[in-house]
Amino acid sequence: MSERLLTDIGGLPAGEVPRQEAPPLFWQRHMLAMFNVLWGKGVLNLDEYRRTMEEMSPDAYNKSTFYGRRLDGMISLLVEKGLIDRAELAARTEDILRKGTRDHAA
Amino acid sequence: MPPDRHATYAPGDRVRILDLGKPGHVRTPIYVRNKVGVIDHYCGRFENPEERAYGRVGRARIPLYRVRLKQRDLWPDYEGAAGDTLVLEIYDHWLRPA
Repeated sequence: MSERLLTDIGGLPAGEVPRQEAPPLFWQRHMLAMFNVLWGKGVLNLDEYRRTMEEMSPDAYNKSTFYGRRLDGMISLLVEKGLIDRAELAARTEDILRKGTRDHAA
Repeated sequence: MPPDRHATYAPGDRVRILDLGKPGHVRTPIYVRNKVGVIDHYCGRFENPEERAYGRVGRARIPLYRVRLKQRDLWPDYEGAAGDTLVLEIYDHWLRPA
């Protein structure tokens, strides 16, 4: 018998399924647009993205969200492919947080 | 007759879904493994997601089928109608004739 993937939950008890609308926030729209461009240009593919989710620890997976997992997966793939650097990303994020603005055109 | 020269199975063929015990990004859910169903539809050929998930794109395209299974075969405590079925897409290498 094979090991069950984190995402292979068919038939398991689901608990309560929340039904309320959750309109996406600005960063979520922005991030999905970026993901779709990378996907459309063939930089990454959906199977790779799903694999990054399956590689998460169950705890990290459950504590994250749809958009959180998408962002983390996109970052992992870009790092894996050598297109961005984690230290550089952290420094840039730190800089934006310090300035308290998302205006980073400069 | 299989629908094209690449297809191993034709609609109506009985198949068993295998448990390949393969690690990684596999698309055959645990609950259908070792179950017997019927080929419902041949979807054509697609690159193997088990390869694409690791960045190996542009490789061989393999046949994909919709396989119909009886809900009562999947869930021992199923309370719906006896004729209820589930259809899901399974790649050729996860099937064998039954």
